Amino acid sequence: MARDLGELNREEYANYKDDVKKEGKGFFPFAMWHDTVMSFVVVCVITALAAVWYFDADGTEPGLLGPWYTEPAEPGTTDFIPRPDWYFYFLFYLLRIFEWPETVFIATVGIPTLLLILLLGLPFYDRRRERRPLHRPVAMVAAVLTILSMAVLTWKGATAKEALGSELVLLVPTWAEEQGFADDPAAVTGAELFAQSGCMNCHVYLGEGNANLGAPDLSEIGRTNDAEYFVRYLTNPAAFGNNVMGSYSYLGQENLEALGAFLEASKGPSEDE
Amino acid sequence: MAAKSKRDQMIDMAVLAPLDWVDERTGAVRGTKWFLFRNVPRDISWMQTLGSAALTAFIVQTVTGAILAMYYKPSSEIDPLTGKPIAYSSIEAITNEITLGWLVRGTHRWGASVFIILLFLHMGRVFLFGAYKYPRELQWITGVLILVMGMLMGFTGYLLPWDQTAYWATVVGINLNGTAPFAGPWLAQFLASGPEIGSDTLPKWYALHMLLIPGALIALIFVHIYLVTRLGVSSPPWSKEAAGRERTAVEPTGARAGLVRGSGGD
Repeated sequence: MARDLGELNREEYANYKDDVKKEGKGFFPFAMWHDTVMSFVVVCVITALAAVWYFDADGTEPGLLGPWYTEPAEPGTTDFIPRPDWYFYFLFYLLRIFEWPETVFIATVGIPTLLLILLLGLPFYDRRRERRPLHRPVAMVAAVLTILSMAVLTWKGATAKEALGSELVLLVPTWAEEQGFADDPAAVTGAELFAQSGCMNCHVYLGEGNANLGAPDLSEIGRTNDAEYFVRYLTNPAAFGNNVMGSYSYLGQENLEALGAFLEASKGPSEDE
Repeated sequence: MAAKSKRDQMIDMAVLAPLDWVDERTGAVRGTKWFLFRNVPRDISWMQTLGSAALTAFIVQTVTGAILAMYYKPSSEIDPLTGKPIAYSSIEAITNEITLGWLVRGTHRWGASVFIILLFLHMGRVFLFGAYKYPRELQWITGVLILVMGMLMGFTGYLLPWDQTAYWATVVGINLNGTAPFAGPWLAQFLASGPEIGSDTLPKWYALHMLLIPGALIALIFVHIYLVTRLGVSSPPWSKEAAGRERTAVEPTGARAGLVRGSGGD
């Protein structure tokens, strides 16, 4: 009679217990010695990292491993680029692959949840007794692909392009020329606000800005709606189903109208020039 | 029974008797013996030290974290002396003024990354060895939960220095939580303690970072270590002398083949 998986598993484990009892070596001192050496190495590595971090940096001046701290938290600033710790980079970068905001929850919640379920469930859907890597091609290929994609996403997240409002504002004349709104003072004011109010921490405009967060490219946004719509949107993005972007009503009606004029004027680089 | 020397009697009185007293009531000595004096497969290698390496990194985090907690102040109010937020000022003081404060903070900061890296390496090793299979399924599940908790520790700890990096990364983090269907907005509201990050946020994250999540983490680590002690470490699957290897049909062990094990069908 063919024996079922549970029976085979239990027999193999009984053999394991038997072998370990007869042929094994003591956890103390043999394995514990290895563990102790390894623990010592871990403590040394951590201490060395701390020392390099401390002695190479000075206050807010970054060294090889970054600064001791950046400036105090200031909710009013708008030109600071958000950046999580390195092990969230993959998630951070994943965001740009999805449409903002309609499908972005696939990246923020969908994929992490799916990964977690796949990880937790691993022993239950991979039920074969085979343990040798070369005899588990599917598992090995899946593992290599996972590691590769995580590595690529982490690396891309780490090297993603960033720009500061103070530098971006220098681009406004170029934008005005390319988009053809140089004669519209409201649009130019709006463009300056756009560069300095942190919009480009999330959005891309004519190839500049942060594509990292997956917010839409606004270079041609003027083709979709008019200034009045943009003002309403900026005042309360949540009313348009966008729960990710915060309200910019604190800028004041006058500034919002300038931003609206700028966005309406952004119809993409004129092709006939 | 031979009479014990005076010295032996004294050792008995001073060390063994109290241990026996404790063991009789708790089983602690038997438990320790059970943990230490067990056998592991003879072919285990350095790859199998990654789990204990991660444990070491975690212990470093608890020790340095406890010291930091003595000096850190989780408040975003402005300190009238420095004109900066109190939390930020306390981080500055830890780094610049307190003796070896920089070392404790640096160790805690970089220990976090080392801990996460070691968890990933350990998980990779277990996957490579197929060590998550019967009977170690729950071992694997507790391990995954430890990884999740470790990342949550990183997420909550990142805000505490209350500098620009911390603040804005957390703003984005909370906004991302807010995109989840159904629970998202509620979760974002809970994490930010209101519609936006404010004065209530920091104490909440501090409590999560140093009480709630570490409590869960320590409990999970205990279960994880109990299970590995009970179930044993698995051999490298490619090893010729792996514990639990397939038995060949005939395996003479001193006796003549066939005599003891029988020669008929299996």
